[in-house]
Amino acid sequence: MPFEQVHIASFRNIAECDIPLGASRVFLLGENGQGKTNFLEALYVLCYASSFRTHADRDLLMHGSDAFLLRADWKDSFDAPFMDRMSLLYRAGEKKEVRLGDKILTDRKELVAHNPAVVFCHEDFGFAAGEPEERRFFFDQCAGMLWNEYIDILRSYKRVLKHRNAALKSGEEELLASLDIQFTRFGMDLMQTRARLAVLFHEHFPQFYDQVARLGTRVNIDYRPSWSLDSTFDQILAYLAEHRARDLELKTSLSGPHRDRWVFVHEERNFAAYASTGQLRLASLVLRIVQAYLFAQAEEKRTGKRRYPLLLLDDVLLELDGSKRKRFFELLPDPSESVQAVFTFLPEEPWRDYADRSTMVLRVEHGRFTREESI
Amino acid sequence: MKAIEELVSILTRLPGLGRKSALRIAYALLRADLSFSETLAERIRTLRTSVHFCSVCGSYTETDPCEVCSDPGRDRTVVCVVEQPQDVITIEASHEYRGLYHVLGGLLSPLDGIGPDKLAIRPLLARIRNAAHTSQPIREVVIATNPTIEGDTTALYLKKALEQEHVTITRLATGIPVGGDLEYADRLTLARSFRGRTPL
Repeated sequence: MPFEQVHIASFRNIAECDIPLGASRVFLLGENGQGKTNFLEALYVLCYASSFRTHADRDLLMHGSDAFLLRADWKDSFDAPFMDRMSLLYRAGEKKEVRLGDKILTDRKELVAHNPAVVFCHEDFGFAAGEPEERRFFFDQCAGMLWNEYIDILRSYKRVLKHRNAALKSGEEELLASLDIQFTRFGMDLMQTRARLAVLFHEHFPQFYDQVARLGTRVNIDYRPSWSLDSTFDQILAYLAEHRARDLELKTSLSGPHRDRWVFVHEERNFAAYASTGQLRLASLVLRIVQAYLFAQAEEKRTGKRRYPLLLLDDVLLELDGSKRKRFFELLPDPSESVQAVFTFLPEEPWRDYADRSTMVLRVEHGRFTREESI
Repeated sequence: MKAIEELVSILTRLPGLGRKSALRIAYALLRADLSFSETLAERIRTLRTSVHFCSVCGSYTETDPCEVCSDPGRDRTVVCVVEQPQDVITIEASHEYRGLYHVLGGLLSPLDGIGPDKLAIRPLLARIRNAAHTSQPIREVVIATNPTIEGDTTALYLKKALEQEHVTITRLATGIPVGGDLEYADRLTLARSFRGRTPL
């Protein structure tokens, strides 16, 4: 879903700019601290109305400003006959206003279906090497992108979980039986959707990972739910009742999908426990690629047309050796598939090796963008 | 102007009123007859002294018991449990229901520290037990809490709390709205509609 034109005003270190972006691959070149990642962040905020770097919108304001504006014209594909416009206006102390065309959106969930983005950034390393919670976050994000209703189920589950934990803390045992019914209902929905997602990752991840890593043996991802996948509604309710005393003692819900685990498995062992930093970094990158492929596949099933999310790659190639970088690039969806990818590079990186005539190259300096006419 | 600002600042504390609407009201009051402003001020002043909670159902009333509770024509064997007094007015406006009401005064919400003791659940049990010894015992309790996490938790709790009483417990149907379109229904609404489907 390519952006054709982007307008940014008072966002981070970008004072004001209008940038035509109608290329399938856009390279941003610049030293550290010049505004490359800020530009990726602006595109991401346009896609989701929130940042991947901060939860506080005021952090996105340019120093000394009390409002920022982002606006973009985008198409379903490069050859689509018409453009859509989206904009986001934030004023300090007020609610941000997100518009899709003339319509004001009230729930960010609506944006996910319109023009999603997949960002590859340094923090993704946590998906492979971090706590189980970080992996759950990634897979929840994936499921929400593939099945919009998953976002509602997850929100409901989290709310019931908070109520349940509050009841456990205050020792209101008499409420637990009622809460457990909803806890189980939403929890089972989550568990079943996650299991569907696991099947899709099984189909792609091992092959994609091996294509770049060349380990010779497959690395897979196992979904290990806290409750047994074969359990019935009544069996889970009985399990919760049986373990209630322990939950009350520790004042928290010790089982449920908030405790599910996703584990990288290589030759029947936990891969994350012995893999190298480079191998784990690659695993996190491949997770993102699979996420983009699965979205395109789901869109093809739904609309008959393959539609990729916008890909934002922030300095992610730095930690891969030369041959892996090349193979990683080969794994990205082909530009002919109407996918738009925006990369950041340091000027000394061999970015020319990955560019072709259609690549748009922008030099970034102090929040200003200059197009490189010849590459 | 101080007088206008003070009025606007009070009005904006009311639900659904922003500064713009509050200013519009203030200017309208300045233009209106003095008698209108005085009547409005008097009505607001006497509202809290003339409107009370019904000692039987907990709804708003100027007489005690309220008009519904004291109406001999109502079906006294059915009680509809609602979250707040406004819900009684909403259901009454439908002219579809002829039974009695019971206002809980909120919903169970452990996160906000609202447990069963903070709601009128014990008075509901007492009402059912007292009516059991009369010629018109309560046979059905209709739970009409909103289909939210808190509304559902309250409904499930009431179901359990009333288990020992000889009453049928029902819940308002939820799902596709009248005149709605399946195509636009979200998954949770559809799932609820399927769970609550009825034979034709």
